[in-house]
Amino acid sequence: MDLYKFKHTFKQRLNFIFGIIIFIFLLLLIKFFYLQIIKFDNYSSLAKSNSLKIIPIPAIRGQILDRNGEILAANKLIYTLELDPENKGDLNKIKKQLSNIAEITKYDIKKYNKILKESYYSSTLPIKTNLTDVQVAKFISHQYKYPNIFLKQKFSRTYPKEKSGAHFIGHINRINKNDIRRLVKTNKFESYMGLDHIGKTGIEYFYEDILHGYPGYKTIEVDVNNKVIRTLEIIEPKHGEDIILNIDYKIQEIAEKAFEKYKGAMVALNPENGAVLAYVSQPSFNPNLFTNGIDEVNWRRLNDSIHKPLINRVVSGLYPPGSTLKPFVALAALENNIRRLPFSIIDKGFYNMPNESKTFLDWKKGGHGEVDIIKAIVVSCDSFFYGLGVELGIPKLNSVLKRFGFGEKTNIDMPNEKRGLIASAKWKKEKYKKKWYQGETAITAIGQGYTQTTPIQLALATVKLINPDYILRPQLLKIITTPNYMESKSGNSTDQIKKIAPFGLQNMEIEKLNLSDTTKTDNLGLIREAMSLVTKEGGTAAFIGRNSSYDISAKTGTAQVFSLKKDEIYDESKLPDELKDHALFIAFAPSEKPRLVIAIVVENGGHGGSTAGPIAKKVFDAYLSETN
Amino acid sequence: MLNLNFYKFFENIDRVLMTLIIFLISLGLITLASASQQNIILLGNQIIKILIGIVLLVFLSNIDPKRFLFYSPHLYIVSLILLLFVAFFGFESHGAKRWINLLFFNLQPSEIIKITIPLMLAWLYHRFQNTINYKIHSAAFIILAIPCLIIFKQPDLGTAILIGLSGFVIIFLAGLSLKFIIVSIFGFLLALPYFWSTLHLYQQNRVLSLIDSARDPLGAGYHSIQSMIAIGSGGFLGKGWSYGSQTQLNFLPETTTDFIFSVYGEEFGLIGVIGIFIIYFFILYRCIDMAKKMQNTFSRLITAALTFTLFISTFVNIAMVSGVIPIVGAPLPFISYGGTSIVVSLSMIGIIMSLHSHKSLIAN
Repeated sequence: MDLYKFKHTFKQRLNFIFGIIIFIFLLLLIKFFYLQIIKFDNYSSLAKSNSLKIIPIPAIRGQILDRNGEILAANKLIYTLELDPENKGDLNKIKKQLSNIAEITKYDIKKYNKILKESYYSSTLPIKTNLTDVQVAKFISHQYKYPNIFLKQKFSRTYPKEKSGAHFIGHINRINKNDIRRLVKTNKFESYMGLDHIGKTGIEYFYEDILHGYPGYKTIEVDVNNKVIRTLEIIEPKHGEDIILNIDYKIQEIAEKAFEKYKGAMVALNPENGAVLAYVSQPSFNPNLFTNGIDEVNWRRLNDSIHKPLINRVVSGLYPPGSTLKPFVALAALENNIRRLPFSIIDKGFYNMPNESKTFLDWKKGGHGEVDIIKAIVVSCDSFFYGLGVELGIPKLNSVLKRFGFGEKTNIDMPNEKRGLIASAKWKKEKYKKKWYQGETAITAIGQGYTQTTPIQLALATVKLINPDYILRPQLLKIITTPNYMESKSGNSTDQIKKIAPFGLQNMEIEKLNLSDTTKTDNLGLIREAMSLVTKEGGTAAFIGRNSSYDISAKTGTAQVFSLKKDEIYDESKLPDELKDHALFIAFAPSEKPRLVIAIVVENGGHGGSTAGPIAKKVFDAYLSETN
Repeated sequence: MLNLNFYKFFENIDRVLMTLIIFLISLGLITLASASQQNIILLGNQIIKILIGIVLLVFLSNIDPKRFLFYSPHLYIVSLILLLFVAFFGFESHGAKRWINLLFFNLQPSEIIKITIPLMLAWLYHRFQNTINYKIHSAAFIILAIPCLIIFKQPDLGTAILIGLSGFVIIFLAGLSLKFIIVSIFGFLLALPYFWSTLHLYQQNRVLSLIDSARDPLGAGYHSIQSMIAIGSGGFLGKGWSYGSQTQLNFLPETTTDFIFSVYGEEFGLIGVIGIFIIYFFILYRCIDMAKKMQNTFSRLITAALTFTLFISTFVNIAMVSGVIPIVGAPLPFISYGGTSIVVSLSMIGIIMSLHSHKSLIAN
């Protein structure tokens, strides 16, 4: 090969390679253009998600207080030992590791596994809560030994009154999958970032949005090892607002003490505005058990108990009203111009249906003698009301019951309220596909039969007897305030009250019913007069009126728990407790200018006046002496 | 006069090329300062290596090309011995034996061989320039294959391919018939499955992760993804010097060595990339211009071969960090931290300058 040709080939190939290099340069440039211009947004956000982490700062839950500032639900700073569920390791090994610091019991492990199953996002989960200071100190000094265990400081909900008021205060529990579904649906999920708990029952549930606040967050920059380099932004959380209830805890305590031996419910309302002053549901439970996830043993004990302590009887307990319905039935008669004074019957202790098809007995053997509408209420004469009911008929009766709120929710600020039931022919047909018998009208008129009410319904209906002109709604909430309003109340910072209760109190002025024509007021006056005589000599609750310094108006009631078979005679002393009749009681005092309305149901309490009456008396005494 | 002698010492330096190289090195130092998170010791170390490299460059530019010609076989043999020495006595780092500990610094013979192979091949073609035939080409292939195989076994696939490619460029420039080239490319493709089976598992993973980077985001693909995130998030103007989050928060691996160009791309953006590409283009253009003007086979082949060696290294590195090819572990000449690389790169430039300024000394 001659040199000239060699040189020529060389130059040619050199140019060729030069061309290739330029081509590669351009290709690389296109790649960089693609990465840095076309895909810039994508890579930019990827770089940010590498280094920027958002850490939620949980809001502190608002407290719940009674009207005098008594704390019913508060937050306590606690220390917990937590595990990362994604990297928890062997629980038994951890138990051994921690043995010289804190004992991890079988229950702790069970509880942890339960929480693990229900938890929805992978933050750390507690294996041991409520560490003592000594345990905290021990853990910190040996922390290097436990790279998988985290010591956390957090606010834990506590209920200082424990069992007392548990049903209306409610409780919180860890957020579970159902809660998440609900929160996502209502677009509230993001306000739960970093929070583990949510209100489950009572006020804690009903005013969850007010109590729980809104979490803040901080944006931090981390390196590849998740080491925090710096904090870029902090948005402070909006802490939850405190809720001050209408409940007067002093009254509540007295009511609960009076109720101690019994099962049932009691609610006390201010008839002027519907404020709930006492709210008892017995038996009760300790809500503190729930705050960090209830363990299985306690849950079984509460949930499977035949006494059903978890049921909020004031709003969810359904009872036949028994004779407490009689004032309302009587009012229906008067408004329809039957049984008006001086009409009376001679009661011999039974009532025969017009077609003689059936005989209904009065509760009193031998009857009450001559009975007019007032005496019928005072002595709770069944015979009088059988006939009244049959003549009046179900539709007319029901329209009055409806006006008093039977069969409708009272819309009290409590979850799980039941509607109750006003029985009618139409209802029976739909429900049982059976026809309505006239005899059923007769027993409906004395509050037996199908009609069912809740204690709160009874209380509100009684309020309406006193205050027919207003639409009221029972309400637990008094004021929503900024945190710690009560403590600074001694100062002059009334401006701290953020909102007055948003309903109820104001509604009172807004909706005036057109009920104040004179006949109607007269009818009501008559009923009220009859009720005031119930606690006088001869009345069914005479014994509570005997030593009272003020007049009490009331109506007793007894609701059958089971039906007697034909020819069987009800004998309270021979029946087992759970089959005994429910005792019911509605009352207000003082009679002339009522300041408190009470409705009581004592389950299996036997006759209305004897068990429920004294409870009511104690509450009246306490409240009226306090507010005098 | 001393002054005159001193000036004379620099007279073989090509000013245009030297200016461009100093430009490039300065950019590299600026980037390294950020990539190392202003690690003064590391920067000082690099500056010392650069100064050693420049001294060597000036020294080599004054050497008579006849000496290069004469010593080429010796240098080749010595570098082969060093390579073998590494294979038996070198110390391991990152799963590969590449370095010899020489007390003061760690020598990487696979970098030195980047110079000695072109010298040896150029010597061969120069020696037999009048009788170049398939025998000579075969000899060239053997000269090239031996070090390539040793490096491949280190294992250092990247450098092996790099050296193989730059050696092949010399053979190509020396006039290897196109027919043979086409046949051997086909042969190579046929042999590919065999080569695949000889690759280490991690090497296979790297290749596979390039095809589908989501395949193994925390393993082999992780570095590649983080590198692309760094470059892509730099955008048009970059995040600014020392403000690259990927770099500064260590999401990007090996920021001072293999991935230094990602740092550059993240902090200086597309505009910076275009800028450095322009510098590269002028360096390339200048070197090729020099090669074309050279008077003898030896000089021409060496100049072209060294130039391409530098550029192939550059491309492999840039293509690697931008996700075009798998992560092979190759430094970026003049920019990456690492003594041997910068000294060798500057030496190459020194040799090119010597050949350029002494063009008449070797008669055809």
